[in-house]
Amino acid sequence: MRNINLFLFLMVLISIWLTACNSDQTENTESTGESAEATVTIWHNFAGDDLRARTVRDLIDQFDEENPNISVEAEAIPVDGYRQRISTVAAAQELPDVFFTYAGSFTDQFYNGGLIQPITPLMEEHSDWADSFLPTGLEAYEYGDNGDTYSAPVGMSSTSYLFYNKQLFEANEVEVPETWDQFLDVIHTFNDQDITPIAMGNQAPWVAQSTTFGAIADRVTGTEWFMNAVEQDGASFTDPVFIEALGYFKQLVDADAYQEGANSIDNTQAEQYFAQGKAAMMINGSWTVSSLAASASEDVIENIGVTVVPRIEDGEGRANTITGGPGGGFVLNSEAEGNVKEAGLELIYALSNEEAQKAIAESDSMVMYDVDIEPENVSPLYYEAFNLARSVEFAPVYDLYLSAAAGEAINNGLQEIMLGGDLETVAEKVQQAQVQSLEEE
Amino acid sequence: MQDILKAKHWIIISLLPALLLYTFIVIVPIFWSSYYGFFKWSGMNEPSFIGWANYLEVVNDPIFWRALKNNMIIVVASVFGQVPIALLLALLLRKTTLFQRFVRSAVFLPMVISTVVVGLIWGYIYNPEFGIVNALLEMLGLESWTRAWLSDPAVNMYAVSVPIIWNYIGPYLIIFIAAIQNIPTEIEDAAKMDGANGFRKLFYITLPMMWTTIKVAVVLCISGSLKAFDQVFVMTGGGPAQSTELLATYMYNNTFMTYRYGYGSAVSTMIIIVSLILILISQILMRRKEEKGMSI
Repeated sequence: MRNINLFLFLMVLISIWLTACNSDQTENTESTGESAEATVTIWHNFAGDDLRARTVRDLIDQFDEENPNISVEAEAIPVDGYRQRISTVAAAQELPDVFFTYAGSFTDQFYNGGLIQPITPLMEEHSDWADSFLPTGLEAYEYGDNGDTYSAPVGMSSTSYLFYNKQLFEANEVEVPETWDQFLDVIHTFNDQDITPIAMGNQAPWVAQSTTFGAIADRVTGTEWFMNAVEQDGASFTDPVFIEALGYFKQLVDADAYQEGANSIDNTQAEQYFAQGKAAMMINGSWTVSSLAASASEDVIENIGVTVVPRIEDGEGRANTITGGPGGGFVLNSEAEGNVKEAGLELIYALSNEEAQKAIAESDSMVMYDVDIEPENVSPLYYEAFNLARSVEFAPVYDLYLSAAAGEAINNGLQEIMLGGDLETVAEKVQQAQVQSLEEE
Repeated sequence: MQDILKAKHWIIISLLPALLLYTFIVIVPIFWSSYYGFFKWSGMNEPSFIGWANYLEVVNDPIFWRALKNNMIIVVASVFGQVPIALLLALLLRKTTLFQRFVRSAVFLPMVISTVVVGLIWGYIYNPEFGIVNALLEMLGLESWTRAWLSDPAVNMYAVSVPIIWNYIGPYLIIFIAAIQNIPTEIEDAAKMDGANGFRKLFYITLPMMWTTIKVAVVLCISGSLKAFDQVFVMTGGGPAQSTELLATYMYNNTFMTYRYGYGSAVSTMIIIVSLILILISQILMRRKEEKGMSI
């Protein structure tokens, strides 16, 4: 018995010692890593196999190779889980040195939490570069009284292009709609022919809001009203003008513009549905241009035209706009100091300088930077959309400015409207969520 | 005597590591989580103490109650779907011919597939454009029955219950087959000699002999359904318009989609309380049956 006791005791001792050894080893490897001048960790969401993701990953690898004294530890996280992953590590105070963020309320949170630091040194060092961003490009990342810049966008999010199937429009002898009335007429015509007028995949409920409602609402309410409502400064989401905007969306639903079950298929399935010629139109973002360019055949792409959402004549807002603005950019952790900070800044510059912007733009993906692209390097649909985006003005994307909770409220609210829900209740919920989030700040 | 005492010592010492792990991974986080429920916390800013406000908001939020109702639909569907189907199959498949083994493996197969894959597969089955459910109905001439199964709030909770039932019949089937095989052959033989056949044997011998196993299965079923998340999250994400929101998706959406970590923690605590109450109720109900069984 005694022997067994001793044996077990030794076993426990050995296992404790083994675990201790293990942790020693990890510490050792870490300290060898530090013998290089700096190690920068970077997290981003360019994890996919699309052109843009590969381009950005190549840029990171290239930076790593060109700077032997800086070692870059990159982690690519799929887009769908990215926000959650980042906010989870932010809550645990374990953010990487450099990470990708989205313009708007997502970045606001990092700024408010004191988790990021300005990249102003880069702006001063490379002033030509800083001046070449399109208007509002850098403004989205300016915070504080001094207007310090915290990031430089590496993309443009333009979320509301009206794509149309040229053949279907010709075959049914209809013109591409320019006004709301024409739009409704076109929808009726296609419905009479048993063709789905507009394809939508709203299973993840941001789609209807980001691609369609934002554009409609801006045409109805005007941008200024929306910005005031976000701040709750003399405007509220229960205002009649917002109900009216919801009403325009309801008109589309009531006109059977969308295919049945639009709330149970995802955006990619809707893109395929449209590309297969089963729907005459689709309102979707610049990501659709990239994914169609990557997956559809040339014939299909040549048959697709792109324009803006029709104007609403009774509305307060501008016509010719696309919802969108600066896309995501890289930010620097506020805890990065010394060599790590220097290396982090260099990395951010390498990923957003002129060459990087051009590389990203030529991977069929929009940028917020004044850069010329060669038509032969890109897909024709992308070239058309790229030029369209540069000829129009931007309107705000709802969920980039609303608080996360209010964004969820409008997303769910639009689904409710598609299911026959009441407009006032939806407006009420959005208002409530926005007020509550402002109080919590 | 001394040996027994020593053995007890060793039992305690051997259990200790597992107990410690369990305490730190399960018990402590439950208390941490209920503690965070008292804070307003976006996950990034400093948390600030707000007392019972989060808990009150949970109780006053109609969506929470809708999520609870939806969860109860899953519980009921599981208890009255998974358990009877598994029992029936177990009674039919107790022999080990090749065909029966094949059916058994087929029923168990969904259990081996990742729940995310199950969600995706059933998402396609229910797809309004090319889903097999609508296609079958059309083939049978039942066009009026076709619908967008996952986005029509009148039916989508029932639609998402089906994959969950399908997914988890396997383990209950195995448990029940084992229980049936554990019934001593002497009793069966005696019953046969007394002339009990078919349904009589089933109701007077087989089922009573399996009763404890069935009870365990029901408890497992209830606690499993309260944790339901993955399949529904993949198929609908709780939507459209929160019509298929479950307690777990509601907690997830609040915590990670709207960055209300404090509120999400309060919801988690409420889920634990609800689960404990339900398990307690089921235990009481079962105990009554047991006493009745014993008095007979």
